[in-house]
Amino acid sequence: MTKKVAIVAVAQNAGAESKDNFYDEAYRVTKEVLDKAGMTRDEIGSVVSASSDVFHGGISCANAYYWDPTGAFLKNASRQDGESLFALIYAAMRIITGHFDTVLVIGLCKGSENPELDACTLMYSDPFYLRPLGLTETMAAALQMKLYMEKYKIRKEQCAKVAVKNLGNALRNPFAHRKGRYTVEDILKSDTVVDPLTELQCAPKSEGMIALLLASEKKAKKLTDKPVWIRGFGSSIDAYMIGDRDLLDGQLKNAAARAYKMAGIRNPLKQIDLAEITEPYAFQELMWYEQLGFCKAGGGGKLIDKGFTDMDGALPVNPSGGVLANNPYVSRGLQRAAEAFLQIRGEAGERQVKKKVRTALAHGVHGFAGQCHAVAILGS
Amino acid sequence: MGRAVAIIGVGQTRHGRRMDVSYPDLVREAVLRVFEDTGLSPRDIDGVVSGTMPSMMEGIALTHFYFSEAMQAVGKPILKTETCGSTGVSIAHTAYYWVASGLADLVLAVGHEKMNEGNSQATMTTVVEPFYQRYFISGAPGVFSMQSQMWTARYGIPEDKIRDAAAFISVTHHDSAFDNPYAHVKIKVTAEDVKTARVITYPIRLLDVCPNSDGACAVIFASEKMAKKIGRKAAWVKGVGYRGEEYFFGDSDKVVWESAIQAARQAYDQAGIKNPRKELDVAEVYNPFTYQEMLFYECFGFCDFGTSPDLVLKGTFSRKGSLPCDPSGGTLCTNPIGATGLIRVAEAAMQVTGKAGDHQVPGAKLALAHAMGGVDQFNGIMILGSKL
Amino acid sequence: MSKEYRTLKTEIHLPYELAYGATWTRFFEGLKEMKIFGTKCKKCERVLVPARSFCPRCFVDTDEWVEVKQEGTLVAWCYTNYRYFGMPTEPPFIGALIRLDGTDVNLLHLLGGFDLGDFANTVKIVKNGMKLKAVWSEERKGHIMDIRYFKPL
Repeated sequence: MTKKVAIVAVAQNAGAESKDNFYDEAYRVTKEVLDKAGMTRDEIGSVVSASSDVFHGGISCANAYYWDPTGAFLKNASRQDGESLFALIYAAMRIITGHFDTVLVIGLCKGSENPELDACTLMYSDPFYLRPLGLTETMAAALQMKLYMEKYKIRKEQCAKVAVKNLGNALRNPFAHRKGRYTVEDILKSDTVVDPLTELQCAPKSEGMIALLLASEKKAKKLTDKPVWIRGFGSSIDAYMIGDRDLLDGQLKNAAARAYKMAGIRNPLKQIDLAEITEPYAFQELMWYEQLGFCKAGGGGKLIDKGFTDMDGALPVNPSGGVLANNPYVSRGLQRAAEAFLQIRGEAGERQVKKKVRTALAHGVHGFAGQCHAVAILGS
Repeated sequence: MGRAVAIIGVGQTRHGRRMDVSYPDLVREAVLRVFEDTGLSPRDIDGVVSGTMPSMMEGIALTHFYFSEAMQAVGKPILKTETCGSTGVSIAHTAYYWVASGLADLVLAVGHEKMNEGNSQATMTTVVEPFYQRYFISGAPGVFSMQSQMWTARYGIPEDKIRDAAAFISVTHHDSAFDNPYAHVKIKVTAEDVKTARVITYPIRLLDVCPNSDGACAVIFASEKMAKKIGRKAAWVKGVGYRGEEYFFGDSDKVVWESAIQAARQAYDQAGIKNPRKELDVAEVYNPFTYQEMLFYECFGFCDFGTSPDLVLKGTFSRKGSLPCDPSGGTLCTNPIGATGLIRVAEAAMQVTGKAGDHQVPGAKLALAHAMGGVDQFNGIMILGSKL
Repeated sequence: MSKEYRTLKTEIHLPYELAYGATWTRFFEGLKEMKIFGTKCKKCERVLVPARSFCPRCFVDTDEWVEVKQEGTLVAWCYTNYRYFGMPTEPPFIGALIRLDGTDVNLLHLLGGFDLGDFANTVKIVKNGMKLKAVWSEERKGHIMDIRYFKPL
């Protein structure tokens, strides 16, 4: 990278339902991250936010509404529609150009105010063909899960293990919405949503305002003695027509390859110490292991069987509990980056992994069966 | 600041009522045209950025999913930028920062809207929160009517003078639309027609306001290395600026309109422009309302506050004036909102590369493109020039 | 004129439930009691109405509550007499920006207290700069329309 960008501070609010006003919550989280960074609103160069109208109380042109609480008054600010890890990417670009020294990145979603997730994701369906059939992210995931299990002989127990791991990890995460000590049987016996997905294998509908302060190299070194560098990032989008796609070989590989190239990662297994990935459906975590290069195609089940991705495993994945524990839809990718930041700085409290984390991966995804992915590599 | 970036090609749809095509096909029409224009193929593109108005407009959320094939974005890095009416310029800014950062050499920017498939006023009402402001803001015309009143009262501009100047602008732009093959509304109007048209929100009448249009625009941004390699005439990005004010309509002064003033100033500073009226050859101002257009001239420093109606009536901002504004017919004649800001950028690029056909401003070398969004909340500017 | 094909008519309904939070609860409860509350920023000393939890410019908490005067001056107005789907306020109505005495921003609300059906008459009565006073609804529910309109004095 020609110019380095670092994350210098993060702030997040809890994922369980809150009776607070959206606008006020956004102000508090913004203020918290500014205070942590030791900066005032006036000093910030730019703001890039992420939100999406259907996930935003039905108030459209979302960033108009929360412009004030995110400190953007009379600033050159912008917004990504949808997954917030894309806002991180856009903010990093703004700093790399040299136009801005600091950029506040914030993802905003208050799940408790919105209808069920599938009522929202149904809105991705075109009105002529897919919508009358009721294609939602859950239905698409169920189709993908069946294909995955059939092709690679993945067992339902292996998928359930992801939920056991993540919901268990979440017990140590004060920001997580859903948490608990579950067995594989508990997971499999929870209500069926769309077969073979059961409720505990599907992400809940959570709240999340996640703010990160990004800074240029020079500025970052003034603001903190532990900057977390954004070493690389990448994204990729798949085709829309679900019947045209290979649901088992999507665009995460390309998104990751771009991030790895930028970050100089040639051997992800060896060079990545920890990963926070977006797994709205438990089985997808196994697929994402494969597409991130942690194992070969179809090898995800074996990886979880071995405990490879446990908190004390060789490559911990989702020590925060991931999205199965906390799903503030649009904010979830940025929350992964925030968690990775905390792990690298050794500030993840009870959910801090024991091994030293120098390089971490953050991942976000949205769209049917993971149509659109973003990956970021963070490092000390 | 960052690498040099140029626009090397544009594509627009025939804007208007396009019930002859589905929304994805409309998007594809613009994308095909920009590839034709540049001689490039989708394979050459390093990244795509798209944007549009909120989901309520056409009833589809996160449209970059739906249009992935139409934009030929499959397998590519993607960004989706949305800032209400200013989206078109925000998309252009996103593409600019992407290339300027060195992370891409060729970025495709696509803005689109199919307003005839939805209800635009009902959609715009959802921008306003339902606790307080939604009861009082009756779509865009009311807001601009109030802004206009505050402006004319502040500077003592007589009602009939402003009415005449607004009519002059309407006639000018409706005429220009005939010289723009892509423009939507092509009707011959006289000042008398404008002054006696149906009242929308007093004093704004039907011919003072933009239409609901279907349309898409695609623009390719390139690094200096790529622009030189491709060897076509390029429109260089000389400056960008953007500002937003408070969300609540009553919180900021909308006459000495700081978001517009400062967005322009930021772009001028980067471009080294000290006297915009003299140095700019053409301006594609976001102008859905004739009355508001004149206030933009003042906020952008084309003339002093309170003086634009006089200059309008003298022809200063007409096609043959000293600073032609919206020779394409502007937003007043064509407004597919998600695309509109990007169309202003495309038109500015066409002007400085001599490709504006029948509405070319002869010898144009430096152009301003602008878009406004929210309830008079956001303003974004891009300055394009024929020289690096 | 190019060929037009079939169209699909469809409506989307999505339910939302939005939290008022502490500040707006207090503001709207105030309306029930025929009180209009603003908050004052201790840095720039502006009084903002409706009451806010923070000042967007100074970015500090605004926790000094002020009961604001119910009279003010008309800054701008718009007579609205057209319809669109889901319009919350029945036309014709007049949206208005009003500077309540002692405040530093404009409140958005309605004008009323005279015959709105006659536009020509309206133009005679309504003048920017004129003095207005809040008129309350008989039944108040903690809603912005507890203020029925602002009438010319």
